[in-house]
Amino acid sequence: MITDRLARALDDRLRLSPIARRALAKVFPDHWSFMLGELALYSFVALVLTGVYLTFFFEASSADRVYHGDYAPLDGATTSAAYASTVRLSWDVRAGLLIRQTHHWAALVFAAAILLHLSRIFFTGAFRKPRELNWLIGVTMLALALANGFTGYSMPDDLLSGLGLRIIVSVVESIPLVGAWLASLALGGEFPSDVMIPRLYVSHVLLVPAVLVVLISLHLGILVRQKHSQFPGPGRTEHNVVGSRLWPSYTLRSLALFAWVLAVLFALGGLVQINPVWMYGPFQPAQATSPAQPDWYVAWGDGALRLFPPWEFRIAGHLVPAPFLPGVVLGGVTFLALYAWPFAERLRTKDRRQHHLLDRPRDHPARTGIGVAALTFYAVLVVAAGDDILARLLRLPVYDLLSVLRVLVLVLPVLAGLLAFLLARALRRGDAAGVGALTRADLRRCAPRPAGPSEGGDGPGGQETPAVDRPGGRIEMWPEGDAWHWRYRDDAGRLVVTGNRAVLSRQEADSAARLAYPGVDRIVVPGPPPAAPAGPIRTALRRWGRAMAAGSLLLAAIVDRRRDRRRQERERADDTAQAEDAGSTGDGRT
Amino acid sequence: MGAVLVLAAGPVALGAAPTPEPTASPGVAGPGAASRAADRGTQLYLENCASCHGEQGQGAQRGPSLVGVGPASVDFQVATGRMPLSHEAQQARRREPVFSAADISALVDHVASLSGGGPQIPRVAPGNPVSGREVFAANCAPCHGATGAGAALTNGWTAPPLYDATAVQIAEAVRVGPGLMPVFPSQVLDDRQVDDVTTYVRRLRGERMDRGGNPLDRLGPLAEGLVAWLATLGLLVAAARWLGRRAGE
Repeated sequence: MITDRLARALDDRLRLSPIARRALAKVFPDHWSFMLGELALYSFVALVLTGVYLTFFFEASSADRVYHGDYAPLDGATTSAAYASTVRLSWDVRAGLLIRQTHHWAALVFAAAILLHLSRIFFTGAFRKPRELNWLIGVTMLALALANGFTGYSMPDDLLSGLGLRIIVSVVESIPLVGAWLASLALGGEFPSDVMIPRLYVSHVLLVPAVLVVLISLHLGILVRQKHSQFPGPGRTEHNVVGSRLWPSYTLRSLALFAWVLAVLFALGGLVQINPVWMYGPFQPAQATSPAQPDWYVAWGDGALRLFPPWEFRIAGHLVPAPFLPGVVLGGVTFLALYAWPFAERLRTKDRRQHHLLDRPRDHPARTGIGVAALTFYAVLVVAAGDDILARLLRLPVYDLLSVLRVLVLVLPVLAGLLAFLLARALRRGDAAGVGALTRADLRRCAPRPAGPSEGGDGPGGQETPAVDRPGGRIEMWPEGDAWHWRYRDDAGRLVVTGNRAVLSRQEADSAARLAYPGVDRIVVPGPPPAAPAGPIRTALRRWGRAMAAGSLLLAAIVDRRRDRRRQERERADDTAQAEDAGSTGDGRT
Repeated sequence: MGAVLVLAAGPVALGAAPTPEPTASPGVAGPGAASRAADRGTQLYLENCASCHGEQGQGAQRGPSLVGVGPASVDFQVATGRMPLSHEAQQARRREPVFSAADISALVDHVASLSGGGPQIPRVAPGNPVSGREVFAANCAPCHGATGAGAALTNGWTAPPLYDATAVQIAEAVRVGPGLMPVFPSQVLDDRQVDDVTTYVRRLRGERMDRGGNPLDRLGPLAEGLVAWLATLGLLVAAARWLGRRAGE
């Protein structure tokens, strides 16, 4: 009742209902791969929630502190305030370690979810017009996520992360001409500087998260403003979206996913140890630990530094140090390529049309091949970052392993990309449903033709119309009270897609249906459509739920009445005891 | 991986091979027993060691000289099961010791009688873990890792995990410097510092250090990344697929 009145009051003042009605009726496609971005979103929410708790206890300062607490090997030792407070957070603050570990796990999952989401967008061509803007925002958020992960990992001032920070600073310093200036500008001096940790902290908890929040809002705002993309299928056109409405079905599904994300992250945080900084010890520039790796999402940079030969050369008298190519250039090229991809592909294909129906990865073998090759390349780099661990586990000399990886990082991507290209083409030419269903004949058909770039161009050109069900499909419209509804029905009558919003006139229903299904016959049918019969289990559950609800209401009423009666009896007893005040207290309680 | 296996087998290994305690030093009960032990030492040496190290410990094609290595070195190599080796290897790995404690002590005495010199088996006393941690971070962590899990070195050498080493063996390794490990004589680390670092290393193996849950073999961020990916793909993407499939019904 209260919410009702509140809503009405707000609507009177802000005229929210048209916007809200529109937003709540927005349709989201049902395919699971559209929820990968939500995984990232909810990991980010988990990051913010746990991160706020951590800020209460973390002290971002490199001033000296004496640690006193439960961790005996450091009890009474003098370390930086950042390190001491992180150890205290882990050993002496209630739930501190759980929250800290959950925060770190959430960061790892956040980056992984972004990568999955980006791969989905890439392989289905969802970055094409009109969604280039959201692609650019997304790539920016990936870069920010990596940067913020790294600053968060470095802030505790432990030995392991200090080594990583030293490497990053060296990579920045390797930029010819400006490198040393940039590094000292960022650090306010030489490497382990006093302002280093406070600056990392400000960028980690304030600057980057704020930018991320703005970009996420933009990302979602554009998503709502634009029509959602969808996979091609019966009843789906470039002009409509088939799926579930935001309210109630998609909201509930999304909240279920949120609960899953929180459950998994907290389970990881409670059960699996991550970044035990108390064992690593505080950072001292003269000390080191081994094996030393960064978190997985920056490990590709570390792997590139390990694999790249120590080449140094001079350009116009300026030394270009060895870390420049694998560190700065590779990172720069990676993100430039990501930013430029939609435009490069448009240049190549000359395809300037809007696309709301997605490609399947097989529809565009060249794109699929390049994507798989790139992913393989970075995966090999991540593996190369763990060369010392692998060497120990496999009992191989590190340098032998490094030589093998140097070959693999060049060969494997080409092979994997070619394989993906050929498989995609075989799938497109044949009628197999998936990779597992490919026959030898399918593969032979795609093999003889050389794997040239000629495939890249055409794309799924003629798929704009729902080809299968076009002939007999029709639009049915009917009045219901004041409102008009409409639905699409294919000729077999098996598929029924109902419009998501009721409109006030027949003309409006007509034009909405014409927008979603251009060129389909529209007819008016009588009466409300028959509801689909529910399955036996659902019917039983519904009946049981109703019975439970009624039962609990009844029980509550009985308990309430009994309590009332008891209270009245007590009041009566009080009345007889002290004749005057009893009545007023009884009133006050209700 | 090896660390885990060894950790799991740790108490068993310790039970099977009681190493000479701090008091263990040359010289047993009576003169008769002493000569019997010396005979036993000679016999064991000729049977198990002389083929590579030479009858007088002078070394040969297949094995280095034992002249002047000292009792600590012999005790370390034999008590950790690294010696005797059945075949030539670049780096012997830790195993169950082949000999009993009495046999090891007899062998140590025999090798010491061949040449003399070298560091004695150290006496270890409980030390201070706080200063032990500092000594460890400055001297040991670069190769054995800050968590003591071990790491790869150059040319196929590895710094082994430290979790199943006894206090005496840790102190011996510090004084002797087996394999690629540097020697830390008493001018570099005094006896008290060795006691401290031994205490800290013995503490590193404890489960209480892994306060956050499963330590993933203390392999560090890449193992954590692997777990994160498994959780993302196996639990979260699976959940999304399940929710998406239910929506289609």
